[in-house]
Amino acid sequence: MARKDLLDISALDREEIEHLLEQSIPFKELFTRSVKKVPALKGKSVLMLFYEPSTRTHSSFEVAAKRLSADVTNFDVAHSSITKGESVRETVETLQAMRTDYIIVRHGRSGLPGMIARQTKASVISAGDGAHAHPTQALLDAFTIKEKFPDPTGRKVLIIGDILHSRVPRSTSTILKKLGVEVAYLGPGSLVPRTGPENIRRFTDYKEAMAWNPDFVYLLRVQMERQDVQYFPSLREYHHLYGINEARLEEIRSRGLYLMHPGPVNRGVELCDAVMDYERSLINDQVENGIAVRMAVLYWLKPGSTQ
Amino acid sequence: MTLLITNVRIASENSPDLADADVLISEGRIQQIGRSLAAPAGTRTIDARHRILMPGMFDAHVHFREPGFEAKETIASGSEAAINGGITGVVMMPNTRPAIDSATVVANVLDIARRTARIPVYTSGCVTKDRHGKEMAGIDGMRALGVKMLTDDGDTTGDPAILLRAMQYATGFGMFFASHCEVPELAGPRALNEGLVSYRLGIKGSPACAEEIIIDRDIRLAHAAGAHIHIQHVSSKLGMETIRWWKSRGDVRVTAEVSPHHLIFCDEDIGDFDTNYKMNPPLRTKADNEGLLAGLIEGVFDLIATDHAPHTPFEKSQDFVAAPNGITGMDTALVSLYHYFVATGKFGWDLVVKRYSAEPRRLMGLPVVAIEAGQPVDLILFDPEAETTFTREFMKSKSRNTPLIDQTLKGSVAFVMLGDAILLER
Repeated sequence: MARKDLLDISALDREEIEHLLEQSIPFKELFTRSVKKVPALKGKSVLMLFYEPSTRTHSSFEVAAKRLSADVTNFDVAHSSITKGESVRETVETLQAMRTDYIIVRHGRSGLPGMIARQTKASVISAGDGAHAHPTQALLDAFTIKEKFPDPTGRKVLIIGDILHSRVPRSTSTILKKLGVEVAYLGPGSLVPRTGPENIRRFTDYKEAMAWNPDFVYLLRVQMERQDVQYFPSLREYHHLYGINEARLEEIRSRGLYLMHPGPVNRGVELCDAVMDYERSLINDQVENGIAVRMAVLYWLKPGSTQ
Repeated sequence: MTLLITNVRIASENSPDLADADVLISEGRIQQIGRSLAAPAGTRTIDARHRILMPGMFDAHVHFREPGFEAKETIASGSEAAINGGITGVVMMPNTRPAIDSATVVANVLDIARRTARIPVYTSGCVTKDRHGKEMAGIDGMRALGVKMLTDDGDTTGDPAILLRAMQYATGFGMFFASHCEVPELAGPRALNEGLVSYRLGIKGSPACAEEIIIDRDIRLAHAAGAHIHIQHVSSKLGMETIRWWKSRGDVRVTAEVSPHHLIFCDEDIGDFDTNYKMNPPLRTKADNEGLLAGLIEGVFDLIATDHAPHTPFEKSQDFVAAPNGITGMDTALVSLYHYFVATGKFGWDLVVKRYSAEPRRLMGLPVVAIEAGQPVDLILFDPEAETTFTREFMKSKSRNTPLIDQTLKGSVAFVMLGDAILLER
């Protein structure tokens, strides 16, 4: 079944997810060739609508679209009428008139890409909305995990950090659950909601969480910019309780665990410098795989008629 | 006009049983109630077999948006929505622009109502100027024009010292206080309940304790001041239990209201960011629905009130956080109470009449209307065998931001009469 939009990974069934992950493999193989471009979306237009700063997701989508030969336009939010008080609704009406085929949206407000999707014929992809969803991050994480364990059933992923403010654990745990992977959260009690999903273990103690025997340790960025009030006393205290310091890295190495992070990292907060050289760190794999899965998503979605 | 309504079943606040009778009306009064009444010459007769006759409803919590937000609602359109739903009297909330915080604005609102509304429209007044919680509003000037209820509705009066002093000041004037209860620091962007749904949607929720803390605070302040406090739109079971505990003490005058939507819907109904389920206080859990219903049946809640809060389709089509809080309720309230509760045997018509007609009028110090010989005509006919589909065309409110849009529910408001005028007949 062809879908118009990709707003939330929970909307996809396992078959669709497996299909997208399989489709990503040939796209990734392209990257080792001298010509990395295919004409799949030649003549199609992709609009990047990023209301929040982003380096890797923005460039990843842009590279993905260009490798499919699409025309990419960046909607310059900083210099747009949005600063003159134009509402997102009005912007969307303008964009609809431009007859673009794909709109890739990042916004601080949860659910906003869905609102745009309902009001436009273009395919809308959430590139992260509030603390709600980041579906392509979920796909790239699943792809990265499956590269290590083609059948990931029963494998365990421990996600550490700011669960409350981050869209990553919501989407990534959703896709992993669909693939039969076990997920647990670890973080300060103020950032790991008591009312989270029932099928996800919740730890506040590092040692207890490691005793759960994860195969992957997935670190989240501590989102200082999203904290409207203080959730923990200091970054130093956070690093002491949950950060991957040298001693914890040694334990992770001796147990052969894989390490993931959606980026960008805060060195000295959720991890120490030495982690970046850890041989089982998959952080760079995640970046590369991100382009492949985004190509697969763009290729898979079917925009409505824009004529 | 002389009118004979025959074979009707009469509901009252005093008994769950409906009394079969004919009712003769003339000169704006109920002249006679009895079996097989003879119609004088020239009498119009309505055969109301199976229909239920009851006094008009009274809604003590509505936002009619005039002056200032006439794109959402006017006093005229809001009162037509009321008539459409079998409601023959309302109390407006003061969060208009300008806010209803002085004799000048009260006089203006009452003048518009007199000219444009076909039912009595009363207004509350602000506790503090412009609802800012800093300085007291023009309390005596508003009292002189008949204002009884003081509230900063939409927000809590943040500073408890101001509220306490206002209570001490105005209680002697026979006024009472109505509280929208919420600690703003705990409420986040004020979009939905904190729980599994807020986690799933990735929006910071407003926990029930944000409401419960102020319910308790404001009753304590009324206790200290000897004031009458009315708690508005209670949404949580623990909030209901807090009120029950204070009522059981018997040493403070506390009344409370519950809204149909807090009885019927819960946060899971929000689904995929449906802004027609966004209001403040927010929809909470199924357990809260059940707790509130038990509180209503037990009598913890003195009245039902809709918190009718119209917003334009454009405003409500924004994303869930940006879309304003509130849903409409006038057109739908009575039918929804019948559909979800009376028709399912949860409570009887006596509760509806008591909590949505008699008690709100008592709260406002107004005469209670009843279907009795000698009473002025203020009545509605409800048809339990008909259905109502809440289409855009059906709604008389300027706005249609309700979860019940395009839904079909059992029951229909068939007839509304006030004084000598038939306001609605379908």
